Amino acid sequence: MAEHFDLAIVGGGPAGQAAAIALQGLDLSIAVIDEQAQPGGQILRQPPAQFAVRLWLPGRAYDRLKAQTEHFGRLDRVSWLGRHTVIEIARDGAHFALLTENALGVRAITADRVLIAAGCQDLAVPLAGWTLPGVYTAGAIQAFVKSQQYVPGERIVLAGTHPLQLLIAAQIVAAGGTVAEVLFAQPISAMFRAVLTKPLVGLRGSGNMLAAAAALRILRRAGVPVSFGSALQRIEGESRVTHVILASGRRIACDTVGLNYGFVPQSLLPRMMGAKVRPAGAAGGFAAVHDEWMRSSLPGLYVAGETTGVAGAPASQAEGELAGVGIGLDAGWIDMAEAGRQTRRARSRHRHLQAFARLLDTVANPLPWFPVPEDDTIICRCEDVDYATLAAQSGGGSANAVKLITRCGMGPCQGRNCEPSLLRMLDDRGLTSDPGFTQRFPARPIPVSELADPG
Amino acid sequence: MRIEQDVTRGAAIEISVDGIALAAFDGETIATAMLSQGMAMFRRDARGRPRGLFCNMGTCGECMVTLTAENRRVRACVTDAQNGMDIATDG
Repeated sequence: MAEHFDLAIVGGGPAGQAAAIALQGLDLSIAVIDEQAQPGGQILRQPPAQFAVRLWLPGRAYDRLKAQTEHFGRLDRVSWLGRHTVIEIARDGAHFALLTENALGVRAITADRVLIAAGCQDLAVPLAGWTLPGVYTAGAIQAFVKSQQYVPGERIVLAGTHPLQLLIAAQIVAAGGTVAEVLFAQPISAMFRAVLTKPLVGLRGSGNMLAAAAALRILRRAGVPVSFGSALQRIEGESRVTHVILASGRRIACDTVGLNYGFVPQSLLPRMMGAKVRPAGAAGGFAAVHDEWMRSSLPGLYVAGETTGVAGAPASQAEGELAGVGIGLDAGWIDMAEAGRQTRRARSRHRHLQAFARLLDTVANPLPWFPVPEDDTIICRCEDVDYATLAAQSGGGSANAVKLITRCGMGPCQGRNCEPSLLRMLDDRGLTSDPGFTQRFPARPIPVSELADPG
Repeated sequence: MRIEQDVTRGAAIEISVDGIALAAFDGETIATAMLSQGMAMFRRDARGRPRGLFCNMGTCGECMVTLTAENRRVRACVTDAQNGMDIATDG
């Protein structure tokens, strides 16, 4: 029999935690399900419980998240299901049926309500050589450093358009690693111009600006070059990366590359369920649509954090708080007046943080700066579908039609990597507003044998 | 490169990947254990080209390996290494 909970929260990051905390003191059973072993999300990807790390992730921004994670850990009646991957959520009569999977097998749980706070992922950006071993998303490298206390390379190049790569480079340097260079495709003037269009918004986000400035100082002291207007063109090597080549022809020796062109919402689960989504922005992807209490378009299903749009951890915390109170309101545990009082500050914070997030989107906008794939550059990593194959087929219709003909998007990642690239290709051919691939079960790759007997 | 300063790891363990014994630490993922020994190739693609781990957060499926005892496919980046684990890649 499936274990039953009043509420299942998918994702134990800033949003999921805030929702559980907002509901504390009510007699509710809550399951929090996360692919990572420990709570915190990607922003606070904790070292394994078996590790002890002194002075882990210093800084005020992290301190607030650590305090929340500690609070979350003290909650009664919250079942932490770490290292559990949700592969399906479906309506089953009056409640939701969830299937989770891990190395031990498949587990079935049910819940009256579900909150999806699944975070975001790095935008996958195809260019020649990007499938070579040693090429990662920048987030992948950062997660190795934060959690596994491991620097995956001797000489790392970070490249893209997103300012976060400055912080990641500084974290690698602080860990004793070597960053060969940080490459921004856009000129620095474009970034300044974007900030100057909204100077007040920029000031309110000064915490982020100061963090970027501090990272720049660390990089300068370590002698790490930071270059602007320096677009990556190819990544080369035989069995792994040995160097990159810039659009200018300049060559940089390295054994590891981190790509950082922005982030897209993890919205596969709400899409699988048929919840309404919207195009998430210039970096691509789709964001789950919600009302003022973080209700999705489906009754009983709530969404919060970067599943609804990438805006950073503090905005996710605010949305999680709204979702938690909203769930309490809908279930009759909290009345409207109390709900309004409880969330006044979160709403105001959320508004300011959203404004800063939009400014950051403009500063980091990858659209004019994407590398141009070559004919045999793989776009769909799972099914090895290259650019020329897609270019030949993408005049004909929808993402789903191209998927059927080419297998692009049919692999284990369910199109999470290739969908934004394919949609940009369709867009270039005037096929705008494509809704993307129809999302299917399972949300993550699982062995077919598991489906016979979910225990 | 494992970060040594200010870090205490779990107990020393050993896993086997494609018949090669790898020293690792309790708490490390299969991915970390492999990469830290220079095993960056997780498979070869349809054109025979070497392929590596990409996202390290369970999203992309590039790092799938087989736990031979259970004949189970898992993502190396979200699966913890256990002492004595026997793993096969598609490399």
